[in-house]
Amino acid sequence: MSEFRLEAVVNGRKIRRTAKPSQRLLDFLRDDLNLTGNKEGCGAGECGTCSVFVDGVLMKSCLLPVAKAQGARIDSIESLAPTGELTVLQKAFHKAGASQCGYCIPGMVMAATAALRANPFADREEIKERLGGNICRCTGYQKIFDAVELARDVQNGRLPATALLETDTTDGEVIGRNVRRIDAPGKVSGRLKYAGDMTMPGMLHVQVLRSPHPHARIVSIDTSAAEAMEGVEAVITSKDVPGQDGFGVFVHDQPVMARDKVRYVGEAVAAVAAEDLATARRALGAIKVVYAPLPAVFDPVEAMRVGAPVVHDYAPDNITKHIPIRVGDVDAGFAASDLVVEEHYSTQAIEHAYLEPEAGLAYVDHDDVVTVVSPSQNITHHRHMLARIVARPVSKVRFIMSPVGGGFGGKEDMIYQGMLALLAMKTMRPVRLVFTREESIVATAKRHPSRTTLRMGVMADGRIRAVSLRMICDGGAYGLSTEGVMRKAAILGAGPYVIPNLRVDTYGIYTNNTPSGAFRSFGALQTQFATESHLDIVAERLGLDPFEIRRINAMRDGASTHTRQTLGSVSLLRALDAAEQASGWEPGAPNVRGLARGDLGHDDVRPPVSLGTRFAPDSKQEAAE
Amino acid sequence: MARKRGRGMAACWYGIARTATVDRAAAWAEIDDGGSAKIVTGVTEIGEGILTVLAQVAAHEIGVKPEHVVIGDNDTARAPEAAHAGASRQTYMIGNVVALAAREARKRLVDCMAEMWDVAPESIGTGNGEIWADNTNHRITFGEAVASAKNRGVVPIGAATFGTDTTGLDGVDGAGRPWQAYVFGTQVAEVEVDTITGEVQVLAVWAAHDVGRAVNPQGVEGQIEGGVVQAIGQALMEDYQLEDGHTSTSGFAKYILPTSLDVPRVNSIIIEDPDPIGPLGVKGIGEPAMVPTIPAVMNAIYDAVGVRIFDLPATPEKILAALRAKARQDSLAIQAAE
Ligand code: FES
Ligand code: FES
Repeated sequence: MSEFRLEAVVNGRKIRRTAKPSQRLLDFLRDDLNLTGNKEGCGAGECGTCSVFVDGVLMKSCLLPVAKAQGARIDSIESLAPTGELTVLQKAFHKAGASQCGYCIPGMVMAATAALRANPFADREEIKERLGGNICRCTGYQKIFDAVELARDVQNGRLPATALLETDTTDGEVIGRNVRRIDAPGKVSGRLKYAGDMTMPGMLHVQVLRSPHPHARIVSIDTSAAEAMEGVEAVITSKDVPGQDGFGVFVHDQPVMARDKVRYVGEAVAAVAAEDLATARRALGAIKVVYAPLPAVFDPVEAMRVGAPVVHDYAPDNITKHIPIRVGDVDAGFAASDLVVEEHYSTQAIEHAYLEPEAGLAYVDHDDVVTVVSPSQNITHHRHMLARIVARPVSKVRFIMSPVGGGFGGKEDMIYQGMLALLAMKTMRPVRLVFTREESIVATAKRHPSRTTLRMGVMADGRIRAVSLRMICDGGAYGLSTEGVMRKAAILGAGPYVIPNLRVDTYGIYTNNTPSGAFRSFGALQTQFATESHLDIVAERLGLDPFEIRRINAMRDGASTHTRQTLGSVSLLRALDAAEQASGWEPGAPNVRGLARGDLGHDDVRPPVSLGTRFAPDSKQEAAE
Repeated sequence: MARKRGRGMAACWYGIARTATVDRAAAWAEIDDGGSAKIVTGVTEIGEGILTVLAQVAAHEIGVKPEHVVIGDNDTARAPEAAHAGASRQTYMIGNVVALAAREARKRLVDCMAEMWDVAPESIGTGNGEIWADNTNHRITFGEAVASAKNRGVVPIGAATFGTDTTGLDGVDGAGRPWQAYVFGTQVAEVEVDTITGEVQVLAVWAAHDVGRAVNPQGVEGQIEGGVVQAIGQALMEDYQLEDGHTSTSGFAKYILPTSLDVPRVNSIIIEDPDPIGPLGVKGIGEPAMVPTIPAVMNAIYDAVGVRIFDLPATPEKILAALRAKARQDSLAIQAAE
């Protein structure tokens, strides 16, 4: 279909533009009108970061063909307040600390604006329902609800406008005060530019060809047809890497693009830089890769067996890292215990799901400095790795950390910056790559799935005599942070308890699955899930309250850790007391006493959600659906 | 009754900053024209609120208002190394080093003013954008003080580095000093389990965490609330699924995340057990906030309905299967007893 003439009123201004029918309203707003406050979190109507008003009705602009805007009134986040000002709701987001990474926030502000327009007196439960189409990965939503309630009360005159002002620190005391976040105004207004919002003159668009196989030898790659296409400026493969080709947080075992073989589905194989995104996408289809599939291994326990397919030649046993901890004599400890309990625990792979998909720009500056702008969580290490990869001195490589729209460990890996740098060097033009949500999920690291066997021996009085903990984790195809995750899992796994006899082994294993990597709580989450579940099982068997069994075994001031480090002050008992008191915990053994408990349903518990009690949708919304 | 409630708890510990290796960070500070403070360090916001924390720290150390602190962009060619944004290290490593750099910049300015006013440097106070000498009528704004210092040829700057006294682990028995700051926490969860649908709702979490010292309590709560809800995602619904290396959950339609209707009320209790080593007493909260939630929820499910989920996530299907298995076992036990 050919271009057409679009007439609409966008943010109060009449516009007349040519548009392509293939464009979504979101693309038109972002690319043609430079209204980048509207973010693309998923492109599939699931996250709400792209929300705008179409004739006053809240809509997800990633789902709307631009033709739907014909003759319509479109209002985006940029229209809510005059430039440089904030609406009451935006101020309330600022005051309440409702923005963290900020990537979901423009969409949240739009949805909350719609909610208070629909019902200026909406209570917290109704606010929750009305924000149900918007995902936030950072805040846990509490402060967002707080913000909407604050705005509602100010708008209704129940609270004075001064409730939105900065915390008073004129007494000179600044620490320990809820000073408003200095980055919030840019986030609540949609003004802050993330890497995917940035453009440079002469910029090329990058797309990546990814492996369809979990394990295969690359027989040949023919890029000639792609390179011959009009608008294609460069195509790169592992042949274009001038230096030592490898990145990773601990071992540098992952090439910038697959070298000789692919090890997981979604691994980068080649990259294209072209004048526009559509051409870059088409060029991917013109790259011919011949693969010879290899036997693959998907289960870490199978991968440890002799004769299993080998993922990396340097690790013929497929072990990325094993971390041992040994204290005392575990077998003697179990023999001397009154009760020994063994259980198996497992945890799944999970996705970071930061709302900002990976994005970055790269260019070579006038001093020949290779520069990468991206939401990297580790510019220091990335610079060192990239310098080796591109065979330039560290001083000729520069990383700029753009605002990070959520990281949680997932942006510690240099998963795409190498390709950007190589394409900038090859074309000597600025290049930009923005992942789709699918690409982000398929290509980047997950939380390590784990299988743990935990055996604990205790005395009748609740004292732990011995623990053995063995965890096997699927590290996937590349090392990334696996070594560090295994280490933290091992050090912290047995919990903050005095354990005279301890044996811990954590194993990170290579497989042909999506790589596992750094993820908030880094291995300690997996092992402590097992230990803290286990303590309740043991407590039930001994007839002890869960707080009590933990107090009996708690590390105290001056304790020695499982790695034999002497601690100073240990706040565990304070934390136990504080949680017990705040929750009004009724003591008792954990023996399924839910029905009989007297401590349920306090004021600080939310009401359960029940289907069928929802608010009546407002008429405008209904008409739109 | 189809819906049953229960409670569970769990504790945790965590190490702050990089593990079993020497961590380090550096920062530069300058008290700028007009009396604002400029801080340059190689790390930026990933959403946790570090820029605000650094502004508060610099304001506190120098004596200007937090809104008069400017934090430079972070760029390996323009800022000193502060290493990575992770490991719950930002407030600890960068907060402490910014405090040290800001102290040095303040000292330069204070020494200069002491000379000018002919008083002892110890008698000089700063706060709320002003600098003064005790028991005199000398009191001027920071803007004026910077101008005076510059007239005497002094630019009030500071630079600092902060490192940890830590070691690797022994390869055989794991002995070592992986961190110099540890935190501890405890959470209680209250859940409701629908025994017909298998659905679990987490209604409340009480989360007590030691953070050393809370620079911005609202920010600490934000970290706890966000961590708890991410953990609930892993506990109950999130699942990245692979079949022969191919994922079937490559979008948010299939990969289910917690939304506003899934979240509990989170009641945060901040405990301050100051770190004795760093200049500020701060520690960290980003990661520990997530650790006790999952076992607390699993313990609460057990408390409510007597089934324990060992294999995450505790989806409605798994809860129902476990309830059926338990019913079979219970009836067998009754038969055996009869
Ligand atoms: S809903 Fe439109 S980008 Fe996610
Ligand atoms: S603040 Fe909501 S996604 Fe980061």
